[in-house]
Amino acid sequence: MSAPEALCETVRAASKRGQKLRIVGGETRAFLGEALVGDYEDLSLASHEGVLSYYPAELVVRAKSGTRVADIVQLLADKGQMLAFEPPVHGESSTIGGLVATGLSGARRPYGGAVRDAILGVGLILQDGTWAEFGGQVMKNVAGYDVSRLVCGSHGILGPVTDVSLKVLPAPEVEQSISLEMQLASAQALCASLSQKVSGLSASCFLEDVLYLRFSGSEFLVRESLAKLGGEALDPLFWTQVSNQSLPVFEHAKDIWRLSVRPDEKTGDYAFGMMDWGFAQRWLFDPESDPRKGYQGAGHWTRFCCRTSDFEAPVFQPLPTAQLSITKGLKAAFDRQGIFNPGRMYSEL
Amino acid sequence: MPLDNSAFLTRLTQICADVISDAARLSVYEADGLMAKRQMPGLVVLPKTVAEIQQVTALCHEYGVPLVARGAGTGLSGGAMPHHEGVLMVLAKFNRVLDIDAQALTAVVQPGVTNLAISDAVSDLGLYYAPDPSSQIACTIGGNVAENSGGVHCLKYGLTVHNVLSIKVVLPGGELTEIGGQGLDSPGLDLLALMHGSEGMLGIVVEVTVRLLPKPPSVAVLMAAFATVEDAAIAVSDIIGAGILPSGLEMMDSLAIQAAEDYIGAGYPTDAEALLLCELDGLPDELARLVSNVSDILSTRQLLQLSVATDEAERSKLWQGRKAAFPAVGRIAPDYYCMDGTIPRRELANVLQKITELSRHYDLAVANVFHAGDGNLHPLILFDANKDDELQRAEQFGSDILCLCIEKGGTITGEHGVGIEKINEMCVQFTEAELTLFHAIKAAFDERGILNPGKAIPTLSRCAEFGAMHVHAGENKFPDLERF
Repeated sequence: MSAPEALCETVRAASKRGQKLRIVGGETRAFLGEALVGDYEDLSLASHEGVLSYYPAELVVRAKSGTRVADIVQLLADKGQMLAFEPPVHGESSTIGGLVATGLSGARRPYGGAVRDAILGVGLILQDGTWAEFGGQVMKNVAGYDVSRLVCGSHGILGPVTDVSLKVLPAPEVEQSISLEMQLASAQALCASLSQKVSGLSASCFLEDVLYLRFSGSEFLVRESLAKLGGEALDPLFWTQVSNQSLPVFEHAKDIWRLSVRPDEKTGDYAFGMMDWGFAQRWLFDPESDPRKGYQGAGHWTRFCCRTSDFEAPVFQPLPTAQLSITKGLKAAFDRQGIFNPGRMYSEL
Repeated sequence: MPLDNSAFLTRLTQICADVISDAARLSVYEADGLMAKRQMPGLVVLPKTVAEIQQVTALCHEYGVPLVARGAGTGLSGGAMPHHEGVLMVLAKFNRVLDIDAQALTAVVQPGVTNLAISDAVSDLGLYYAPDPSSQIACTIGGNVAENSGGVHCLKYGLTVHNVLSIKVVLPGGELTEIGGQGLDSPGLDLLALMHGSEGMLGIVVEVTVRLLPKPPSVAVLMAAFATVEDAAIAVSDIIGAGILPSGLEMMDSLAIQAAEDYIGAGYPTDAEALLLCELDGLPDELARLVSNVSDILSTRQLLQLSVATDEAERSKLWQGRKAAFPAVGRIAPDYYCMDGTIPRRELANVLQKITELSRHYDLAVANVFHAGDGNLHPLILFDANKDDELQRAEQFGSDILCLCIEKGGTITGEHGVGIEKINEMCVQFTEAELTLFHAIKAAFDERGILNPGKAIPTLSRCAEFGAMHVHAGENKFPDLERF
């Protein structure tokens, strides 16, 4: 691929003027992150779209960042393949660039890896408008620092990603889902025990005293795992809603807090509205349960979505001193002038 | 030079009892697994506690003394080659497994624990640690993080970066920090990913929490011998194209097959041009069907032999040949030089053909072993360092192979790292702007540049020199002529 000249020129011009830029894809994940600091102009990558290459037998797809996630998912499905992190799609216009920038993964994450695990390479526009490439389209590549994964989940503060190469996997032969009524402790124990053996477990969610499970793999494996469990059959659409955070509990919530924790962490005083990822991802929907002051666990919180008017930063749990100092250094390494998404992740970056 | 500063040495010996400064004992550490590149360390320290690591690092930082961390020294790119005016920190004493959590499927280990020792420690629980570089019996987990090591199982189960949940790191100023966390992600930029494969340039890993996996209930290894390399390469694409993800998929060419067979007696057919080893795992019923499917796919090509090993002894015998390929090749030539390029798999036949031409051009034999599933090539160039300019020719041959990998859309290193070995080829793979960014990333961690200086990322002036030399060599039709 050659450099995306028009985008590079826009960045070059902005950089000369010290003009701050808000990097925009499909605008479907604008809810996640802090308000930008200062006056900005939009740098839209929504029309920078198209699949650049897809070789099913190489297990790699490469697409421009404005390509819609749904289009990539469909392209892969037609060849019996998938993105193992089960990409959340927050709206029709959700782009692959936005997905990488926010670093969000869906229901399969604990069992199939995160979006960062699937990243093989990125194209990136540097602050002076130069286009740079990191990683590539091969499975193993340790030349240079792993900028591709660093950019993943960086919320655009390191610069605009112009294209992404992702590892894909064969879609499972069979998938079946069930729901089981049970109490929290038993659900947590069952999830842990299923992870301790080869069971094909590929998604899990605990919601209102029901444990939802999905098994994927060969017919033998899925049949064997399900035979021991019983339960009610479940519409697989449920997992799309879990991945996309579009279940009614999300739709009705005013504030949404996300906690990422050890799967066996005690729930303590928190009334989690939903727990997925084998209990490693937990959701709070109650405006009163702001974890920012009281949370003492070993995980971390995110103010995932705020629909109330009294928005208060921070959105992301503050970093320990050493990490903040490195992060500031990295921000300066990529964006000395601070023109890319200033303040989107942390107000000082 | 700073090491002559007696205050530095006094303070160093106050921090750490085990400091080596006499030439005879220092010489043990003059190279890692890349024996062709040697350098006597200024001093060697073997700290015993994390506090000692912190204090030694802080002291080096204060005096601006280069500091190179070393695990088992099995690295193949010279990443742990010492600095002659610096301190080599050997982490061999950090060899304890600190915690195993069978419930959460994690193990907390010190950086000097060997890769295989982790799997051994959890084997009774029915668990294992998936990444398995060929050197797993000796290489350490700290080094695995530094190099983002792979292995034969990484196509299905991932590289080191996919199997580490958190690390404790001593930063260049001596501060201790934890990167990653107890959950599946952590706030801020993904520094955990950045640390993987950073070759000891950004911090010193002092503790690692790895993810454990349940052992597969049953495993089979198929061995397929082919009359042509092309057939073997197409078979690999056919297997993956059919939606099958083997847990290992390895290829060897005829010279590698013969060398391994002579050395180990694994039962490889020595008349084959290419050999595929395909490992499959799953429940017994599931596995039987997978084996049958893969056998059908393989049989559509011209096969000389196809056999299936299911019991552990037979499987391990087949793998022995592959895992011992490097030492096996080492027996048929005084020296060998191992390359590590990765290419898109569809280019395999082309690239192997070109390597054969280069082999003729440089008049040096080459044996190829290949992580076929993920496109990672290990050509082993045979030479005799005591003969004329053979080392120089081998290095130039290697460099040509790496440039070929870049040209075909691949990379100069899939899993061995850049170290000192491939530093010139970094100038071919990356632009000036990209290299400048790498240096800025390094400075964000290590502004004084004390950690492993001169490795992994070339300076722009080095590239300017190499660039001139590279063009010159590319045009040179007479490899025997002296070069400058």
